[in-house]
Amino acid sequence: MPATSKKVITRDEWEKKLNDVKIRKEDMNKLVMNFLVTEGYVDAAEKFRKESGTEPEIDLATITDRMAVKKAVQDGHVVDAIEKVNDLNPEASYYLPTDLNGKTGYADQQRLIELIREGQVAQALEFAQDELAPRGEPSFLEELERTVALLAFEDVKNSPVGDLLDLSHRSKVASEVNAAILTSQSHEKDPKLPSLLRMLLWAQNQLDEKAVYPRITDLFTAALEDPSV
Amino acid sequence: MPGSASTTSHRSESLITRLHSASSSQNNETKLKVLRELKNQIIGNRTKKISYIKQGAVPFVVSVLSNCDCVNDCLVVVQCAAIVGSFACGVDVGVTAVLEAGAFAHLIALLSRDNVKVVDAGARALRMIYQSKVAPKYDFFEEKNIQFLISLLDRNNENVTGLGASIITHSCQTHDEQKILADAGVLKKLINLLGGTTNQRDASLESFATIIKENPEVISKFVGPENGRTWCTLIELTKDRYPRTRLLACKCINLIKNAAPSYLQYVGMRTKLILVLLELLDDPGQVGDEALFTLSSFIEDDEGLQKLAFETNTIDKLLNRTQKELLQAKRLQGVFITLANICSNLECCRSILIQSPKALNFVTDALTHTNVDVRVAACICLKNISRSVKYLSAGRFMTESVIMPLIQLLFDTSTSVQVAALCTISNIVVDFTMHKSLFVQNGGVKQLVQLSKSMDSVIRLNAVWALRNLVFLVDSRCKEVIFMELRALTLTSLVSDPSASVQEQALALICNLVNGPVDSIEYVFSEDGLLMNAVGRQLWSASKPEVLIQGMYVLCNVASGKEFHKEAVMHQLLPQPNNDGTQSIMVTMLQSDTAQLRTAAVWTIVNLTIPTGAGALARVVKLRNAGIVSQLKNMVNDPCLDVKLRVKTALGQSMTFGDFST
Repeated sequence: MPATSKKVITRDEWEKKLNDVKIRKEDMNKLVMNFLVTEGYVDAAEKFRKESGTEPEIDLATITDRMAVKKAVQDGHVVDAIEKVNDLNPEASYYLPTDLNGKTGYADQQRLIELIREGQVAQALEFAQDELAPRGEPSFLEELERTVALLAFEDVKNSPVGDLLDLSHRSKVASEVNAAILTSQSHEKDPKLPSLLRMLLWAQNQLDEKAVYPRITDLFTAALEDPSV
Repeated sequence: MPGSASTTSHRSESLITRLHSASSSQNNETKLKVLRELKNQIIGNRTKKISYIKQGAVPFVVSVLSNCDCVNDCLVVVQCAAIVGSFACGVDVGVTAVLEAGAFAHLIALLSRDNVKVVDAGARALRMIYQSKVAPKYDFFEEKNIQFLISLLDRNNENVTGLGASIITHSCQTHDEQKILADAGVLKKLINLLGGTTNQRDASLESFATIIKENPEVISKFVGPENGRTWCTLIELTKDRYPRTRLLACKCINLIKNAAPSYLQYVGMRTKLILVLLELLDDPGQVGDEALFTLSSFIEDDEGLQKLAFETNTIDKLLNRTQKELLQAKRLQGVFITLANICSNLECCRSILIQSPKALNFVTDALTHTNVDVRVAACICLKNISRSVKYLSAGRFMTESVIMPLIQLLFDTSTSVQVAALCTISNIVVDFTMHKSLFVQNGGVKQLVQLSKSMDSVIRLNAVWALRNLVFLVDSRCKEVIFMELRALTLTSLVSDPSASVQEQALALICNLVNGPVDSIEYVFSEDGLLMNAVGRQLWSASKPEVLIQGMYVLCNVASGKEFHKEAVMHQLLPQPNNDGTQSIMVTMLQSDTAQLRTAAVWTIVNLTIPTGAGALARVVKLRNAGIVSQLKNMVNDPCLDVKLRVKTALGQSMTFGDFST
């Protein structure tokens, strides 16, 4: 009888155990600050700093800059975005993942896509010929060819390379650029809170096999559910 | 396209012109605009960097930088420093241009400014310069330079501490430099920095590795097991969330292990480290490649670690990966080198590879890979697998799929591939009479003989070595073919080759040639005894014991033949009648410090004095007159048991004719 062989922990016992775990308020605040900074909520971070006295891990001004870069990419202003990155830290572009596209090529590709999207065929070709082709990195050429292929189709959206024009491609580039800037600032590119929540779910799943206990199912309220025996 | 090319250069020319006028302008706005434009054009764009360098942009930028007042013009200063850094980044001509324009001193000056952005920009640019191999070496022998370096490491700014670390990684090369840095407390500072940001950690680990690399003295003094904190930090970092950090920590521990193997045992990191490195192989890029080479170096020359690698299924993990995806050359090279090291001692490891047809094909296929390093690594791997006596004597490697590509590699355009192939062939042809014909029939011997005439002494050596092993216990027909190909004349010149190692192998080859049926001895007497005389000459003139041993064994084998052969050996050993005063070389050999040489010499005497021979008595008399018998009598208590035993036999044989020594 597997169901009854599990250990049963009552709500009282569980809460008593929970109370024994001491978590410092400052650590909780740091987690919140980490989330706000990484996700780029600069106003919230500033307010939180004043209210809780928690110092952010990085200069809040750099968040504003980073968000401006991200927004520029999302709005299709790639040249503007690249220049902003260069102002922020010329090395940031080196942290763009090479498997997606070598180095700055990633942002450059997006710049080419935007020119094509705007129908500026002549400028797109000139940019591809003058600036992209001479680099001749083999890993880069394939993506370049794919992008230039956009020009070959009348109904681009339904072409095999249509995904490049999709707005989700912009978002993908924007979040890669965001991560690259964070890495260049020695900051982790993902906030810690979501992974803690994932860890909680994992731990509960492990525990489910061995015990019946007050679970947290609703992550929004984090309410303890009564163990169902 | 000519049209578009001219527009580009036109555009860059106008930028250069504007840069030129801006550099003398007082207006900061104008300057900033031009500088930003230049910066945004060159960052990440190699072509443009080179184009602007050729057009002389660098001196303009440096002159703007040098004319700036750091308090009021800090925006301009930051732009200039960023441009200089970008020119220096990844382009060696850029570094040269920047240094020639005198940017270095200006950038160093920026480090002591109050404005953080200015300091950051200066430090970043200097780091770029130090990442290039053309950057000047930092002189650690100057006391004030060390102080400056330490002041950089002490700063609370990751770009500046990173610069300090880069300077060390770039410039510290000799043991003396390593020692100076360690004694100045730099290692401790770097360990402290390991607690900092990701970028600081990685930069510090790299320079830490540079200071301890291959320097047991520094390691024993600063990184021994008693330095608990250093060890804790390094071990902790092998679990870091960033793969590159884990890799660098493993590299440091590997360096410590290579210099002082016992430390690792002490901290119980052996299996753990192998597992961490194996996990890092999941990284498809440089980290994964370097992890493989670190793993390979970690287990090299240590059978215990090879066993641990075996127990952690390293071989399966490597092979699985190769079957799942097409690997880049660097990764393949790493896989083969690691497999080679695992298989260098342990039969259980070789068995896994040999018993899986897929695995063995994987190795032999790589022998024809387009990349030189992969071909070399595959050869080394095959050589180590073929060290298995069990499979070697079962003829497991004398198959067309192994032999044919190996013979092809003897024609390779790369010397290192040829040498690697020769070493592998040497090993594979060593032991079995039955299968050698496959190698001989497919042109292997012809090419080995060609290579034995190479101008490159390493190739010559390995070619002769391979021939030597091929001739070992080969059947008479193959021997005939090999000798026809080699010819006495070639062998004669190899016996007196300028390189002693080649002489040694050539004599060993002859020794194998005359071994076996009595007919074989005739080879050294062909063409008027050309070879026999060459061997004799070498015995009289050579000084290296290795050469003398092989020469002596040739005579020993010849002396086991017919009467005529024995007489020929006597002729070589004793001084010519017109040189009566000289001592026989035999006495010199018997008095040698090298036990192996004494053994070979006594063996020869044993063969010469077998009493059943018609001329035995005459030979004993000659040996006695040359002082050889009395030398033998001095050796009845030789420290080497082998020698002692043969001396007894030799003396016994010569006594059968009576003792004339009264």
